[in-house]
Amino acid sequence: MQTIDLLMAGFASAFQITAFLTVVAGLLVGVIAGALPGISFVNAMAMALPFTYAMNVTHAMLFLGGIYVGGVFGGSISAIMINVPGTPASLPATWDGYAMTKKGQVKRALTIAVTASAVGGLVSALLLTFLSAPFATFAMKFSQPEFFAATVLGLVSVIAIAKDKPVITMISLLSGMAIGTVGVDPLYGQARFSFGIPEVESGIRFVVVMIGLFAIGEVVDLVATDRDLRPRKADGKVAGASFRDIWNVKGAIARGTALGCMIGVIPGAGATPGAVIAYGVEKQVNPRGKEFGTGIEAGLAAPEAAKNATTGAAMVPLLTLGIPGSAATAIMLAAMMLQGVNPGPLLFIMDPSMVYTIFAAMIIANVLMIGAGVGVAQMFSTLMRTPPAILAGFIVILSLIGAYGVRNNIFDVYVCLVFGVIGWAMKRVGFPSAPLVLGVILGPLAERYFLTSIANSRQDYTVFFTRPISATILSLALIFVLWSLWPSVRTRIGRQPAQAKPKER
Amino acid sequence: MAMAPNMRTEDAARQAAAPPTPRARRAKRLIPVAVPALLLAASLALPGFMFSSDRRPDVPGLGPAAWPNAVLALLALCSAIWLFSEVWLLVRGRVSTSLATPHDEDVYHYGKALTGILLVIAFGWLLPIVGFALACAGFLLVWCLYGGLRHPAVLLLVPTIGTVALLWMFMGLALMPLSRGAGVFDRFSVWLLQLLGIY
Repeated sequence: MQTIDLLMAGFASAFQITAFLTVVAGLLVGVIAGALPGISFVNAMAMALPFTYAMNVTHAMLFLGGIYVGGVFGGSISAIMINVPGTPASLPATWDGYAMTKKGQVKRALTIAVTASAVGGLVSALLLTFLSAPFATFAMKFSQPEFFAATVLGLVSVIAIAKDKPVITMISLLSGMAIGTVGVDPLYGQARFSFGIPEVESGIRFVVVMIGLFAIGEVVDLVATDRDLRPRKADGKVAGASFRDIWNVKGAIARGTALGCMIGVIPGAGATPGAVIAYGVEKQVNPRGKEFGTGIEAGLAAPEAAKNATTGAAMVPLLTLGIPGSAATAIMLAAMMLQGVNPGPLLFIMDPSMVYTIFAAMIIANVLMIGAGVGVAQMFSTLMRTPPAILAGFIVILSLIGAYGVRNNIFDVYVCLVFGVIGWAMKRVGFPSAPLVLGVILGPLAERYFLTSIANSRQDYTVFFTRPISATILSLALIFVLWSLWPSVRTRIGRQPAQAKPKER
Repeated sequence: MAMAPNMRTEDAARQAAAPPTPRARRAKRLIPVAVPALLLAASLALPGFMFSSDRRPDVPGLGPAAWPNAVLALLALCSAIWLFSEVWLLVRGRVSTSLATPHDEDVYHYGKALTGILLVIAFGWLLPIVGFALACAGFLLVWCLYGGLRHPAVLLLVPTIGTVALLWMFMGLALMPLSRGAGVFDRFSVWLLQLLGIY
């Protein structure tokens, strides 16, 4: 009862005009920043940080929380409409969401995505409100081996994405992990694969790789294929999503939400592994799993629900322990500390009003996101009516600005161009690029957690298997791999190899 | 008049549907072998280039080379498996389908694609030389022409309004230090930014 009373008081504070407008402003900034390829919501949050100096801590958190919630969804708008994920977590939205766009079902895809995201985010915000304390106790037990195990789980989940090509997917993933090792290593401070070039020593940023692989190749194809992306009618009716369409993917939304809530609460995991794991699990569970990647609604709904479900969950360790679960929550931690507030269990006793106002604002932001998402999507829809050549030209410029903006360094533009050419070539020969991107994102995290685990345990390599939580997560990863590989193994045992066709004549 | 684009599309589709030339068939067969072979060679050679100086770091524990070596060893193993399966298929006279070009387009203009890539590279190369404003306007103009747009109003307005809007958004509001170019181009960029009220 006390929680409900506190939440009601939080709603009263959040609905005050200045607080409400702060949430709305943050939400709009987040959705727009997330939707712009290369300008991620994390960048937007970092750029918004100086503006929070002029606010009180509650308003600062409401503003940043709004950007966070809106930005996590916003990335899917560009992913669905132009096949360029605005954020790494929106990568799975390109697989089925963009396939729906190519079928002329852009409106339908966006409606499903925004609804699934809102449901995931709302459930997560409620979870944040009511289950903060028990979740915090669980997350408290995590150390480097558990973080490593969670990252491994995220890495192996890409095998589930493989369409009967586990070896090629592994090669793509490992190539990404190899790219992720470029630059100074996380423990010893030694530069690797720098070839004597000073700019390379600071590493290759995943955002730059992602922009190059997805944006440049896609833009070139947009012009080279005379593709028409204008929203059109499909099968004689306007391709929107009805309530029945949403109801049909309720299972996918529920599974994605549950997974997102569980993964989001793990510090360091975040929205990207959440969305990818949810896609992989849904592909296995869903009766139409084999058709995933061709524009199946459940393949879009599950990762969308999962990634927004991580937003509220990621704030649990932040508010209760002061441990940021992601880059976005790290910025929120910085904003709180700049205001002289130290998050932790004491915060719930010292300033429950602020904590529950944040909870209420997260709930409000997720509800408002439906309107903000549809509004920005409508703006993007109008943009897509412009000739592809103009659209493509601006995407190139925005993408290269996005790459430049990572470190305000022209070197990143060159790296982006190199990966642009590689991405185009990969696409042309049918080599999967998504696992490579995941390798670049998760590889350095896995290395850091692995090396620190080994160093902390005095070179004991069994540390990952002797700790119960770490061992459980690694077992889950193994089960996940076997479960994912089983269909192709069963097919190979039961029939002639499908990859071999009679000789061409 | 309305029939012309359709006829062009049909012609192109017919061309695309035409059987591939022997050279194209050879290339199609070689790509699935060449890609794993290249990856295998790279993953075996790269450990030798890990550190730019000859002096190997003397550190306790696993050291900075352990993780990249493990990743590259796994990459070499997977590449070898892929290469073996491709060679096996080639020897047995079967056609590999491990790599397949996307089938979602009826027509793909490779010449146009390569031109587009060169234009994007040229834009990135010119950016620090002529500055963002000129590079952006020039790129948008050339890109519109490349994309088949010929209307003078479009060719005038898209680069002009687009460049001004982008300058305002990124250099004016976000205070991003985009390149102003070198020498005379730097002076021109400063003049333009002052004219627009950004500086």
